[in-house]
Amino acid sequence: MPGSLPLALRGQPAARRPAAGVWRSRLGALLTPVAIWVPLLIAAGHVVLFTVWTTWISFTASKLVPDNALVGVRNYRVVMRTANFQIAYTNLVIYGLGFVALATVVGLLLAILLDQRVRGENVLRAIFLYPLAVSFVVTGTVWSWLLNPGLGIQKLVNDLGWTSFRFDWVVQQDMAIYTLIIAATWQAAGFAMALFLAGLRSVDGDLIKAAQIDGAGPWRTYRRVVLPTLWPIFITVLVILLQFAIKTFDLVRALTGGGPGISTTLPALVVYDFMFQRGELGRGSAAAVLMLLSLVVVLAPYGIFVRWQRRRRQA
Amino acid sequence: MKGTRIIVYAALIILALLFLVPLGVVVLNSLRSNQEIAATSMIGWPHRFAFGNYAEAWNRFCMAEHCWGIEPYMVNSLTMAIPATIVSTLLGALAGYSIALWRFRGDQIVFGLVTLGIFLPEQMKLIPWVIVLRDLSLINTISGLILIHIVQGMSFTTLFCRNYYVSIPQDLLKAARVDGAGFFRVFWRIVLPLSPPILVVTVIWQFTGIWNEFLYGVTFNSGEHQPVTAALIALSAAITSEPLYGVQSAAVLIAALPTLLVYLFGGRYFLRGLTAGAVK
Amino acid sequence: MLNTTRRRLLAGSAAALAMPAVARAQGAAKPRISAISQWSAGSDGAAISALGKVFEENGGTWQHNPVPGFTTEMMNKLRAQILAGDPPAISQLKGPEIAAWSKIAPTVDLDPLVKAAGFADKVPADLAKSCQPGGHWIALPLQVYRVNTLFMSAKGMQRAGIAKAPATWAEFNDAAAKMKAAGMIPVANGGIRWDDGMKFEIALAGISPDAYRRAIMQLDEAALKGKEVLAAFEQLRRISNWMDPKIAAQHWSVNLPAFLKGDMGMLLMGGWAQGSFLHAGATTADFSSGSGPQDSGAPCFDLNADCFIFWQTKAPDLQAGQKLFADLVMRPATQEMYSKITGSIPARTDVDLTGPGFSEGQRNSAQNLREAIPQNRVLLSLAHNMAQSNGVTAAMIDVLTEYVHNADISAADGQKRLAAAVENAL
Repeated sequence: MPGSLPLALRGQPAARRPAAGVWRSRLGALLTPVAIWVPLLIAAGHVVLFTVWTTWISFTASKLVPDNALVGVRNYRVVMRTANFQIAYTNLVIYGLGFVALATVVGLLLAILLDQRVRGENVLRAIFLYPLAVSFVVTGTVWSWLLNPGLGIQKLVNDLGWTSFRFDWVVQQDMAIYTLIIAATWQAAGFAMALFLAGLRSVDGDLIKAAQIDGAGPWRTYRRVVLPTLWPIFITVLVILLQFAIKTFDLVRALTGGGPGISTTLPALVVYDFMFQRGELGRGSAAAVLMLLSLVVVLAPYGIFVRWQRRRRQA
Repeated sequence: MKGTRIIVYAALIILALLFLVPLGVVVLNSLRSNQEIAATSMIGWPHRFAFGNYAEAWNRFCMAEHCWGIEPYMVNSLTMAIPATIVSTLLGALAGYSIALWRFRGDQIVFGLVTLGIFLPEQMKLIPWVIVLRDLSLINTISGLILIHIVQGMSFTTLFCRNYYVSIPQDLLKAARVDGAGFFRVFWRIVLPLSPPILVVTVIWQFTGIWNEFLYGVTFNSGEHQPVTAALIALSAAITSEPLYGVQSAAVLIAALPTLLVYLFGGRYFLRGLTAGAVK
Repeated sequence: MLNTTRRRLLAGSAAALAMPAVARAQGAAKPRISAISQWSAGSDGAAISALGKVFEENGGTWQHNPVPGFTTEMMNKLRAQILAGDPPAISQLKGPEIAAWSKIAPTVDLDPLVKAAGFADKVPADLAKSCQPGGHWIALPLQVYRVNTLFMSAKGMQRAGIAKAPATWAEFNDAAAKMKAAGMIPVANGGIRWDDGMKFEIALAGISPDAYRRAIMQLDEAALKGKEVLAAFEQLRRISNWMDPKIAAQHWSVNLPAFLKGDMGMLLMGGWAQGSFLHAGATTADFSSGSGPQDSGAPCFDLNADCFIFWQTKAPDLQAGQKLFADLVMRPATQEMYSKITGSIPARTDVDLTGPGFSEGQRNSAQNLREAIPQNRVLLSLAHNMAQSNGVTAAMIDVLTEYVHNADISAADGQKRLAAAVENAL
């Protein structure tokens, strides 16, 4: 809710200069549809066009360049049969859930800690936010240094004398995916923190006072009054983090290169791999369409939830 | 009470240090010579400060025969990111206003499609963009990249602004319209003056996203028209030669400076903007 | 820096404005070439810059656009330009991709130029074939690397008590065991996927060049399921067990210091590694290089090459530039200059490598190639996209890299997966 609303309009009736006003309002009436529809058509139009185009290409024999010869669902069959594709979706579930959960928890924790009227809040907040300013390529590269057992943290600790220390997830097939979660959380937790902190700060002061008058202790007030108001923010955080997770691409390329083996590949990498590395536009498009479909499966419940919530509010 | 305070501070300081580790490593590496990094490890205190890495990164290292460092590419990135950020933010504000306050038939569907845009993978849009840019004769121009970032950026800016504007009371609009104010007047006199908090959020978001984008910059633009991310990639490994970690670290820091500054100085407003309602 | 380039550009465009009159008067355009390559850094960047200089010294205007990053990004750019109807005059391309890409945009028939230069029979036959997909020369090879090269660390050999570089896989395994016993990591390797594919191809090429040709280059099903490929998978497993377990996704050059110190013993890597050794401060006394292990005795040359494809253009100055460039690339002197910088060997087998500026490794490699040609033992590299189209290559490397990093996959299973991946990708 924006705070105070400046009501500039009320004091200035439109009829000060009738002739000019009429012209202006006519021009306004003409331009209004333009102003409404042009931006919206650009924003929504490219999404529709590009998606339809990609879907069309996914049914064609396109290789290096688009080609209109249809091949039915062959591309889908081929893509779904590759080990890459199967591993990518298993990974997406592990990475998606792990990253969204961890970034949310860390973000919430940071927000709650920062909300305790700490000193140096500005500095601390800047520290937690700065990873957002960094590109995924850089994040991936730097974490690939840190997590590499022969170069980074493990080597440092080993050299310091604790020679049995092991932190080599990045070279283990079944653990490497978790290194992606670490790096991605480092980058995005600050964003979750900012949103949560914003939510905590906009909690109505009267509610808190009321709770205090009722004799609730600070922790109890926090849990009973403050946290429940964060509920809508959770949804925003989850959607934005999920969007990060699904589109993750540069990070993997820079951190693990999809390896060891192909154990950390993700759907976006599969799309890119087919489309461009293998020069199979048709198959790559099929992989992209499958990715969008999986997204719909995840987002549909959210849409239903929002609708349900709105109906409940109206009722 | 005092115990809790100590725990709070201890937790914050430990977490802050953890968050700073990657930055620290890059800063230290930017001051170490390549030989030193290769001979020891990626984490370490410089034996001798190699400030030359910065000069090398700024305007010396070569991408094939072009030995001018990342300096010209920084200029490209700025000429790309600034207009694209401003225009996409303004269009997003307009679109968000239309959807949130100027209700029309099908507005929810349009909004759904716009939101879907934030989930489309970049890889998928590469070829369609080639075709669009070709038809507009914008291949290999900064304008082409600006166009892409405006159009794609609108998904986010519209989402942010719409979510912010829905909390403006409808009564306020009704009153204004009774007084004869049209679409533009309401936008200009009521909506825009209320917008600075959310505009700060979208500007920061857009600027960072556009500045850090790599795929389109490399694919559509060549040589002197490429953004700085392309120059950064040139510094990382090729099959036949070893990566130059020291110079690479210095270049990464220089290239990240604009976005870091944006967060450093805009961070407070970012939070304020979110508090003001972007999260609803 | 930017200012000087702007000035240069301005001067250039002023010259261009002034040019047409002059050019018309002389009836010829000043040769100009626009090129795309991925060579932006290190010795590759230096070599292509030197080539540009040669081009300019011969009266041309050189416009090179390096696409940083990976081959994929370079191809994206090429595709974008082709779709936009504006392909570069020449672009870096190799192996079967030359044939694939030549189908989507018109190329230049270089036959007359190649004939005039007497170039055709100086180049290894398989390489020449990849440059003339429709029976005509449309691309020209610039340089060649031997992929099956074994580098030995001098200190490492000393430490493990090994007198000479292993010549067969049995000797290799023996040497590796000794190194392991001496507390070393026997194989210095990189962690990027092509590195894994390359180890497999070196293994198979060393076991049977003939099986390699049938299984990898011709995708013969019987050969893919044959005993040589199985043996290559078994050898690959041994190599994997001797690799540095800590490398993850790092570049192979990360292990150079350990290799030179003698903490690691052997490196299976193409000839380009030599440049990196010298760059890292090593001298030729610190390492030796030679052909990879070879069980069948005779020389075998697993070839990786870089070529330029020539795209059709209507601009007279670009056409003139293509002629000039083709002429220059085919000259022995240019190839010699280029190879000296990158550490490769010239695509022309008649270039004399005895002069200064070439190393023992390069000479050995060139000699190897000359001997392998008449015996039909030149193979095209899988991991470096010479043997198969990128689609098939990627599918095969997926299997190989997974196999290298997952010790639970048996050799027989790995072989089955490879055959299945090929079938699915075709």
